Amino acid sequence: MEQVLFRHNKPGRPVTFAEYQAEGGFAALKKGLKELSPLEVQQAVIDSGLRGRGGAGFPTGKKWSFVPRDLPGPRYLICNCDEMEPGTYKDRVLLEANPYSLVEGMILAGYAIGCEHAFIFIRRGYETAAMNLRRAIGEAREAGFLGRNILGSGFSMELDLHVSAGRYICGEETALMNALEGKRANPRSKPPFPAVKGLWGRPTVVNNVETLANVPSIITNGPAWFKGLAGIPEAAGMKLFCISGHVRNTVCVELPLGMTLGEIIDGPCGGMLQGKKFKACIPGGASTPFFTAEHWGVPMDFDAVAKAGSRLGTGGIVVFPENTCMVAATLNLTTFFARESCGWCTPCREGLPYVREILTRIEAGGGETEDVEILREHVKYLNYAFCALAPGAMGPVEGLLRLFEDEIREHVVKKRCPFKN
Amino acid sequence: MPKLIIDNIEVEVPAGTTVLEAAKKVGIVIPHFCYHPALGSVGACRLCAMKFLEGPVKGIQMSCMVPAQDGMVVSTTDDEAAKMRSLVIEWLMTNHPHDCPVCDEGGECLLQDFTVAGGHGIRRYRGKKRTFLNQCLGDYIEHEMNRCIECYRCVRFYQEFAGGSDLGVMGSAARVYFGRFEDGALASPFSGNLVDICPTGVYTDKTARFRARYWDYDMAPSVCPHCSLGCNTIPAARYRELLKTMARRNDAVNGWFICDRGRFSNSPVNDPERPRHPMIEGREAGWDEAFDALLFRIGELCELHGEGSLAVVGSGRLALEGSALLPQLAGLLGAGFLCYFTDDGAGDRTATAVSLLNTDNAASMADVRASDCIAIVDCDLLEEGPMMLLAVRQAWRNGAPVLLVGEHSPLEQAKAASIEAVQISFLEEAPLGLFENPVVICGTKNSSPAAIEKLARAEARVACLLPGPNAFGAALLAREHGGTSLAAAVATGKVKGIVAVEADIPVELLEGVALVAAFDWLPTEVVKKADIVLPTTAWTEMDGTFVNNEGRAQRFRKVMTPGLPIKGLPERYHASADKPAPFHPPRVHRKEPPGGDLRPAWRVIMDLIERLGGEKTEEPLSGKLEALRDLDPEGEGVRIWEIDG
Repeated sequence: MEQVLFRHNKPGRPVTFAEYQAEGGFAALKKGLKELSPLEVQQAVIDSGLRGRGGAGFPTGKKWSFVPRDLPGPRYLICNCDEMEPGTYKDRVLLEANPYSLVEGMILAGYAIGCEHAFIFIRRGYETAAMNLRRAIGEAREAGFLGRNILGSGFSMELDLHVSAGRYICGEETALMNALEGKRANPRSKPPFPAVKGLWGRPTVVNNVETLANVPSIITNGPAWFKGLAGIPEAAGMKLFCISGHVRNTVCVELPLGMTLGEIIDGPCGGMLQGKKFKACIPGGASTPFFTAEHWGVPMDFDAVAKAGSRLGTGGIVVFPENTCMVAATLNLTTFFARESCGWCTPCREGLPYVREILTRIEAGGGETEDVEILREHVKYLNYAFCALAPGAMGPVEGLLRLFEDEIREHVVKKRCPFKN
Repeated sequence: MPKLIIDNIEVEVPAGTTVLEAAKKVGIVIPHFCYHPALGSVGACRLCAMKFLEGPVKGIQMSCMVPAQDGMVVSTTDDEAAKMRSLVIEWLMTNHPHDCPVCDEGGECLLQDFTVAGGHGIRRYRGKKRTFLNQCLGDYIEHEMNRCIECYRCVRFYQEFAGGSDLGVMGSAARVYFGRFEDGALASPFSGNLVDICPTGVYTDKTARFRARYWDYDMAPSVCPHCSLGCNTIPAARYRELLKTMARRNDAVNGWFICDRGRFSNSPVNDPERPRHPMIEGREAGWDEAFDALLFRIGELCELHGEGSLAVVGSGRLALEGSALLPQLAGLLGAGFLCYFTDDGAGDRTATAVSLLNTDNAASMADVRASDCIAIVDCDLLEEGPMMLLAVRQAWRNGAPVLLVGEHSPLEQAKAASIEAVQISFLEEAPLGLFENPVVICGTKNSSPAAIEKLARAEARVACLLPGPNAFGAALLAREHGGTSLAAAVATGKVKGIVAVEADIPVELLEGVALVAAFDWLPTEVVKKADIVLPTTAWTEMDGTFVNNEGRAQRFRKVMTPGLPIKGLPERYHASADKPAPFHPPRVHRKEPPGGDLRPAWRVIMDLIERLGGEKTEEPLSGKLEALRDLDPEGEGVRIWEIDG
């Protein structure tokens, strides 16, 4: 299968600068800066159909196009590498194998939006990735790919790595910008959107690691080629999927968008663990509603997964076998989100511990019938929280209520968890 | 101006008004916590949900975050919106303790009101409440974090609005904590506003702790007497004790807030040392007896030392009513000197400042807040008018440069409000001409009349800080009636008698003066040395008028009946010696409260005028000042140039 992001991977070690260049790396940068105008680079990305790989799936080129070009003063580009969604580790795997695609993609993205200073916001736990990036940035600067007048194009850009203290909320782009500014990582209200008023009040684009790392291959091979990589005509490009849970191989693989859930689990994952039967999975990170066996044939692409009632999210698939208590699984996720709330708005700060309390009680056998109704209220009304954290946190709860209500009621009626002896 | 429909009521509001404010305008108050008019909208509490039926945004929205736009149709009664609001209250109440009976905020608690308004009644949450350790925030503010509903108002006021740096938000998720890094007194000179701005009982006034409920208070619109800025206040008293002072909104003057000096300087009113009875040579006397004695002694003095050996002295803290009657009193007494200021310098500087100001160039605090460049000349605002510093900070936050001019403008004042100021030596160095709306702020404590005079030539509006809440009024009257300073009068060697009306006179000036009469409510040095003392009421015990530093006359109302506070009432007022009841009213019928036989200064002067054959009137303000009689105490006040016509 054709690999794009993992093309340069070397077994057991990161690819070197020389190897990356020898294998065609930084060719896109040269082509982009010498042959294409910034608008042409942006247009190529728009035409490629590349959608944000951080979870929301917003068209990347379109996001860039929102940046006002004629406004005097700085514009910023930020790479979001705060990957903290439970079940998601694709950016780490990518950066530990190859930091250069990201650096090259960021220079191209910076060129497209007219950015002079870009930042990589990386979580503290990603030490190897940070080390690789630091080295890659240094090598790129030495090679003249960063700094003033890059490759004689007249375009200048600096790139800095920021190792953050790290919290889940820092993955929210406006909270990330606050954190980068040295403030509390609380989200900002939108509008104004970051493309208009972002970092230090300036137009800013925030993209995920995987998104930016895809840009060089689009410039090298063209938008049509990228589009054609996907498994179904509605999708575009490849996607990193990281699968964990009760499958034979827990792997991070690069697959065409549009492969079905069943094909992914039975294919690269080698099926379920011996003796285990598939019950459900989180399809795209902790904030996405569950898939069950009935979703086995859903193509794993943004729109198809959304149509099936969940979100493709980050592509972090967590697989649960048949004897999993879904109340307990949801409680586990809710506990994470309740802890990771930034504490800014009431629904998230107080509502999530409320949900956690109810799920804890149900799991412990103290649930009441009316608790189901209270959970339903939370699923609906946490949508009116300040940012997307609380609605995301309600993803699994919504799935639990929709798909496993009988399991909740069994807890309530039996006054114990039916999966525990 | 956008027009929209809220609950079938059409409303037109200025562009930029939020839908929450637009609803308020037609009498629909939707519960909200994080939004405060002075701090703006942040959308944190999620309480002010409304359903947007038509227009550019649809569905449930937080009305504080949506600017009103044409074509909007909004419902506040929609089921979903109401459910959202009741859920937000339910969420907040999962952790809020049910300690209202022992909470000082009870009765004036926004959370109480909005819990009822929000429609959440029965607790469904069965988990435990989270608890915190409280901090000692100094002698003035009590901290009770368990009550916190995390509206973020306190940090937004403290850090953003007031520029404080020692109170902030720590922790995250359901453990968000508002406080200091460690226990200790709050450093901001505006910290007391936390009490007003907290929607519940996290920050309460420690000085009034456990003393009264809101409905117990005697309250009235008042004006702060502790500097010349004339900030609007609501003093609150109970059982004849002034317990606390709250800020009162006046957009032309102080805005929403007051400084800590104004808030926490309540004790002089309750001072047991206050003169409570007319005194003759240290002996308690009746009013008539004291008046007779005073007039007899003045007669004696004139016989002995000749006409004109008497000085009648007012001050910048004497309300306009009393100040305006002084010339007539001086005339009838045959006083040789009418003094509104004690020392030469202060009188000259105030007179210079007041003659410099006019309706066009006098800058109010509202003007300072809207200014785009500010120069502070020879002035420490922390000392001469702290609220002016808060006004300067608002301008600075909007980008106005702040210049500290001269050696008497210490950098500390800027630091106290986290203003980055530039120090320069001379006002001429300030590029005021480059700005559209510059303001020069000048003190009168450490500057010179010549320096103040120079301000007239500055291309900027001027704000002068004056010595006392009515110093402006005193200076006007001094100019009109040919007043001199007491120091100058004494220097002539002619002054043998002094009638000091709420005037603070240094002891040196009293040396060799045969007769000292003091009309005052404070136990000043003059009162202690005076031969005759006539006790007056404090500003909270009378109606009156102060003219503030920008020439704005503001009316204040009587808050409380004068008298000794019931708490700690001296034994002589107890029902009987064997039944001392220091915490309860004495069960003895009296005409007036113990220690309450006081008269406003203007009334004392008027009584004297009457005895001297002058015309008795119930209206101390006459002539040009007559226009101030009906001044609305809850209005913005009126600048004296506006009544001249």
